[in-house]
Amino acid sequence: MATRSVEAIIRPGSPHYVGDGFRVHNFIPGNQGASMQRMNPFIMLDYNSKYRFAGTDKPRGVGVHPHRGFETVTIAYQGKVAHHDSGGGGGVIAQGDVQWMTAASGVLHKEYHEKEWAKEGGPFQMVQLWVNLPARDKMSPPKYQAIQNNTIPKVTLDDAGSTVEVIAGTYQDTPGAASTFTPVNLLNARLKKGSAAGFSFPAPYNTALVVIEGSIVINGKNQAPTDHFVLMANDGESFTVEATDDAVVLVMSGEPIHEPIAAHGPFVMNTRQELIEAFEDFNQGKFGYLED
Amino acid sequence: MNRFPFATYLTSNTDLDETMIHELVHQCMNKSVDKGAYLLRQGETCEYSIFVEKGLLKQFAIDDQGKEHILQFAPENWIVSDRASAYFNQPSEYFIQAIEDSNVVLFDEAFILQLAKSNASFLEFNHRQLHNHIRQLQRRILQLQSATASERYQHFVKVYPDLLLRVPLVQIASYLGITPESLSRVRRELAQQNRTILS
Repeated sequence: MATRSVEAIIRPGSPHYVGDGFRVHNFIPGNQGASMQRMNPFIMLDYNSKYRFAGTDKPRGVGVHPHRGFETVTIAYQGKVAHHDSGGGGGVIAQGDVQWMTAASGVLHKEYHEKEWAKEGGPFQMVQLWVNLPARDKMSPPKYQAIQNNTIPKVTLDDAGSTVEVIAGTYQDTPGAASTFTPVNLLNARLKKGSAAGFSFPAPYNTALVVIEGSIVINGKNQAPTDHFVLMANDGESFTVEATDDAVVLVMSGEPIHEPIAAHGPFVMNTRQELIEAFEDFNQGKFGYLED
Repeated sequence: MNRFPFATYLTSNTDLDETMIHELVHQCMNKSVDKGAYLLRQGETCEYSIFVEKGLLKQFAIDDQGKEHILQFAPENWIVSDRASAYFNQPSEYFIQAIEDSNVVLFDEAFILQLAKSNASFLEFNHRQLHNHIRQLQRRILQLQSATASERYQHFVKVYPDLLLRVPLVQIASYLGITPESLSRVRRELAQQNRTILS
């Protein structure tokens, strides 16, 4: 099996706010080479690097907005987010949890810092990743997978206590917690200083890492510090990640969906006509109603 | 978000020579404005018409009670101006403010005259645009006099299909001349009638 090399190590750009509760660096599509087409099926990645929010009685967040045509995956590293949707659903994503929301045909939702957490404030660190859906599933019914940390399968790597959490896909034959529409691997490697983990995905799968904590060396030669995005090339399957400090690394690898992408704001479809329909359906209340 | 260059707007609507358009557009002022920045304030003279290449502007007035009344939104590919001030040289009653980070092109009356003099198709295009603008204004007056909140909303989403995602509801209510509560009610009722996707 050939080694998959590092294509680029991307520094976090200047942050912007999504609503007033998410201070994010955008890596996908970004402007440093990780475009939607390049990263397909991963079409958006916002990273809220560790940031301390002060306590407040009015939780910060982002108000009612729609999605159609893809899935949103929220990974909470620190802090708590409460969410509500137009289907009457809702819940809290706490530290270590993952929420896998299939927006598909359409939901309205809002996301705020959880009320009690917001009162105290504290460090907040999250990833929001959008995973595209193939044309056949874009208009399927919306659903949630609320994945609590204790239900995520963990593979122990060594005696030092390094583990890989399998959010989706497989790692060393251990299947992940989330079901996906196309092949997607999403893993959290929690590595102690000096520990290493090996990964192998088919070469055509688009693959990237986000260094959430600590620092790592990839394939024994490429160093990536905290808060950096590592774009892996498609020249091989296998690569290693070694922690030079206690590290947490988000690893994503997915089979590209070879279909046209027509994207505008919160809608990601295949054609312009489908985008226009999405706007019309949203304007006509077909996504339901949710109080701000 | 896509960008809509001013030169493309002109070349795709007139048979003007592209080189000439680029030369002329080159003389116009390109400006990047941050969200919240003003391009015109009440009392100033509006010297330019503003074409939006990227972003979103609003034109509004503030009444004696301090309440904001939005006359027009200008997303990409729209032109906004205070005609009374720009053409009749009166101090403006309006504010024009960016509500997203925006790229705009400022052009003045002399620019229009120069284009009109050199090209009949531009004259015709400009004439048509003005009449279309008047037609929209007439329709808007009638709506503000007679249409229900629901009718106003339905017309709004036809004119501005993506603004609901970009503008807070309170500003849309201001544009429609209804209360934010009425707008919420209209949208809730519409969702109850049309809700088909979520079970």
